[in-house]
Amino acid sequence: MFQFLLKYPSTVFRKGQFVLLAKWPASLLAVTIGSAAIGLGVLIYWKLRQAAPEVRSWRGWVTWGMQSAFLALVLFLLWQPAMVVDELNSQQNIIAVVVDDSRSMNIADSDGRTREAAAVAALAGRVLAGLQQRFQTRIYRLGSVLTRVDDLKDISPEEPATRIGNNLKQLAMETSDLPVGAIVLLSDGGQNTAGTGSSGISRDALQALRNRRLPVHTVGFGREESRHDLEIEDVSIAPSALVNSRVQAAVRLTQRGYAGQKAKLVVRDGAKLIVEREITLASDGRIQTDEFFFPAGAGGAKSLTFSIAPLPGEENLANNAMIRPILISDSKPRILYFEGEPRWEYKFIRRAEVEDPTVQLVSMLRTSENKIYRQGISDPGELASGFPLRAEDLFGYSGIVIGSIDADYFTPLQQELLREYVDHRGGGILFLGGRFSLSDGGWGASRLNDLLPTVLPPGNHNFHRNAATVELTSEGLDSPITQLLDDPAKNAQRWKKLTYLADYEDPGTPKPGATVLAELHAGRRKLPLLITESYGHGRTAILATGGTWRWQMSEALGDPSHHLFWQQLLRWLVAESRGPVVASLPERLLMDEGRVELTAQVRDKQFHQPSNARVTAHIIGPAGVDASVDLTPSTNMPGQYEAEWTAERPGTYLAEVKAESTGDQDQELGRDVVTFQREDGVAENFHTEQNRPLLEQLAADTGGRYWKPSELNNLPRDVSYSEAGISVRNTKELWDAPIGFVLLLALPTAEWLLRRRWGMI
Amino acid sequence: MKFSPNGLAALAVAAWCAALWAQRTGDFGFGNDDSPVNVKAEFYWSRLAYSTNMASAFGGYGGRWRSWSRDYPKADRQFLIAMHRLTRIDGRPTEQVVTLDSDEIFNYPWIYAVQVETWAFTEDQAKRLREYLMKGGFLMVDDFHGTEDWQNFMRGMRQVLPDSPVEDLQSGDEIFHTLYDIDDKMQIPGEQYVWTGRTYEKDGYQPKWRAIRDGQGRIIVAICHNMHLGDAWEWADDPNYPETFASMAFRVGLDYILYGMTH
Repeated sequence: MFQFLLKYPSTVFRKGQFVLLAKWPASLLAVTIGSAAIGLGVLIYWKLRQAAPEVRSWRGWVTWGMQSAFLALVLFLLWQPAMVVDELNSQQNIIAVVVDDSRSMNIADSDGRTREAAAVAALAGRVLAGLQQRFQTRIYRLGSVLTRVDDLKDISPEEPATRIGNNLKQLAMETSDLPVGAIVLLSDGGQNTAGTGSSGISRDALQALRNRRLPVHTVGFGREESRHDLEIEDVSIAPSALVNSRVQAAVRLTQRGYAGQKAKLVVRDGAKLIVEREITLASDGRIQTDEFFFPAGAGGAKSLTFSIAPLPGEENLANNAMIRPILISDSKPRILYFEGEPRWEYKFIRRAEVEDPTVQLVSMLRTSENKIYRQGISDPGELASGFPLRAEDLFGYSGIVIGSIDADYFTPLQQELLREYVDHRGGGILFLGGRFSLSDGGWGASRLNDLLPTVLPPGNHNFHRNAATVELTSEGLDSPITQLLDDPAKNAQRWKKLTYLADYEDPGTPKPGATVLAELHAGRRKLPLLITESYGHGRTAILATGGTWRWQMSEALGDPSHHLFWQQLLRWLVAESRGPVVASLPERLLMDEGRVELTAQVRDKQFHQPSNARVTAHIIGPAGVDASVDLTPSTNMPGQYEAEWTAERPGTYLAEVKAESTGDQDQELGRDVVTFQREDGVAENFHTEQNRPLLEQLAADTGGRYWKPSELNNLPRDVSYSEAGISVRNTKELWDAPIGFVLLLALPTAEWLLRRRWGMI
Repeated sequence: MKFSPNGLAALAVAAWCAALWAQRTGDFGFGNDDSPVNVKAEFYWSRLAYSTNMASAFGGYGGRWRSWSRDYPKADRQFLIAMHRLTRIDGRPTEQVVTLDSDEIFNYPWIYAVQVETWAFTEDQAKRLREYLMKGGFLMVDDFHGTEDWQNFMRGMRQVLPDSPVEDLQSGDEIFHTLYDIDDKMQIPGEQYVWTGRTYEKDGYQPKWRAIRDGQGRIIVAICHNMHLGDAWEWADDPNYPETFASMAFRVGLDYILYGMTH
């Protein structure tokens, strides 16, 4: 009907440009129409006085409207409206027909046929013949790489991965000297990027298509929604963790057909069960995220499998599990704890850390005015001169705890060093409550005031040796610091039932951006207890008490609450403290490809960024892979070193990056380890439903259109409207479009009928 | 002045409310009184009032002859004066007496006991002291002499820690180096030295610096056998009591407290 009334298909109007062919300017048309309407209005108003009473109302103005519209239409047609559209020259252009050849196209959900069979049938029917009437065609199969085939028979859904973006980019590059007019993509939209759970066409691929103005017409195959399926969409987990620490994981999953039912979420390290948890499934199609904690266990590179036990009648079981590599580091970060007076908190923090093999506490205790008692030092000279005065001495610690000590104890230089420690070096500082802490220690007037996560209260009598109970905030319920029990509800109750603190200090008001994880209740007062904040490259926290030791002495013998809390708090303090060498990868899970972009951030002893370090990576992997790769300095980022390497085999890889200074004496600056995993043929098991949004978006972004298989009759015709290839700009006149004549007849007829109805005729 | 019944009732209600408020904003038993006895502090010199094996003769805690209170409270207070002057410990100037009959003892992670050859525990008391030590509490024992006293002390100790070995401390042990480096120790006699000239009592001729450790090697019971540090603190202001002994006693006591507060 659209083409009948407007003479041309909708694609012409969507892709073309509207013009007026008359010599007179378009502005004159508007003026003429306006003048005609006003003149007609004046005439009607003049005549209305002498007209019959029944016309002297709104009816007169309806008549004016219809007559004005008629006049406007006539004038519009006199100005010769038309569409200018680019159209491919017949027999001079190539249409690239790209058929998804990945394993997911083998799913038989297209009227009993596989998606691949449905696509081939659609092409073999009228589509390919229709295209070949006007264009040359080239057929490609799309998988992990793009391959040209001579015949549809050469297509079989065996490719282990689909990389639509990369394939289309490859097509645009390889045919840059050919007159390709358009691309027809037949696919289920199952785009496998480097990590399952993410989707979308890369900006590079879109740019390559846009540069050639190549429209991509997408034809979607496969069911858009499965009936009974449970799929893990993604698993978020830190790339590394400390030995025996608690690792936080977030599993995103969707389901259809099992809303409200229970499912079992399991984490395994090989065959060893790590954690098992029952979850309740959300409504159909809704992405739900379940967060939980589990013990990191012993050191080493691990491949953790996150899986959901199959439910009855599930259509696809292969998308119920996902693997994530993680490096459990047995390095022992060192924390410097400076305490200004002997107190029980110091003793029990130390006892908690003695039982934690992942962190080493080096402590300085001011026992008398001029004596410092040191514990945990590595040699007699360590900290013998007091609190560090130089960056190279202080920045070696991964975290700092400041106890009950006046700010004035530290020189301005040391205070600046502490600020630099957090801001520049990226370390963490924990401030404890106490007689000489926070506001009572004059920290509000120090240059470290900026570091604190709270605005300290006025005065210096904010420390009280009174009892206070503790309660977690909603943020605290989700924090790894405060997880005393795995079950969130039981954990919240456990905190409420913890015995009271021996003392507390008013830490003031949390600053914007700070997070309060726990609050204390002292009589009627309710104050923040544990507050954290990111500052610069590092982080700071306040624990506004020196009295958690009562949790150890007054809870039952063997109760782990005190030690566990402190171990987790101190691990948090150092967890993100970067070492002198930080190695990283854009993706730790390589899906069906082996290219690795290895990056290392290198710092010297003062945490400056050296540009002349020698940085090498030693990579070991499956089947005896053992390689050494030199990293070269980045031209863009000072202190950054880069290298590319290819993991040829699927499996788990471990790369140790070592940096050395290249001065007169070679000196090791530091080393770091990263782990990554290559998986082949797994991505196709996920997102097996047709990804129509991706296909629609791809078509819209390139000037093409999304087609259903049942609507392909017009595809050969619509494909021809393209700016790519060898095209001409055609003018499609509209003055003789049937719609114009219909309106020219309809408007006077309608007016006549109305007049007759109103009794004027 | 006359009060109407309604006025009295209102006054009573107001008083009751005030009491209730005071209780709600109270501090779980630490007390709000500002007298020296109730001053709140980080460290409380806690003297253990134990039951004795002479209970049948003298009553529950030793009757009139209360062995746990030997030198009490002068020794405690003189020591606290020294502690206040020589360290940064925020200690209460008066002592705290604790017993093993309630969980109140868990609020005081450092306790001091004397004349421990007389102690004897019920099963509950022994269990409470064992838990106290296992959780991180520290016990210093003093003022018992000779072979028989040792055996009696150990009889009680075995009720608490049946299998933990007792070892002799060496000069290099950390407990003698927390505040002062005490390498050359001597036998510290009681006040009887002033008129007898003997540094020992009974057959305790040699000072025994001993200890019991926990599974991590930390000292949890520090044993001063064949000496009497309490008397040295108590009579430190006596011109007849030698300063050498008193100074050593103070240094040892401070080292022991700092060890208990750091390990």
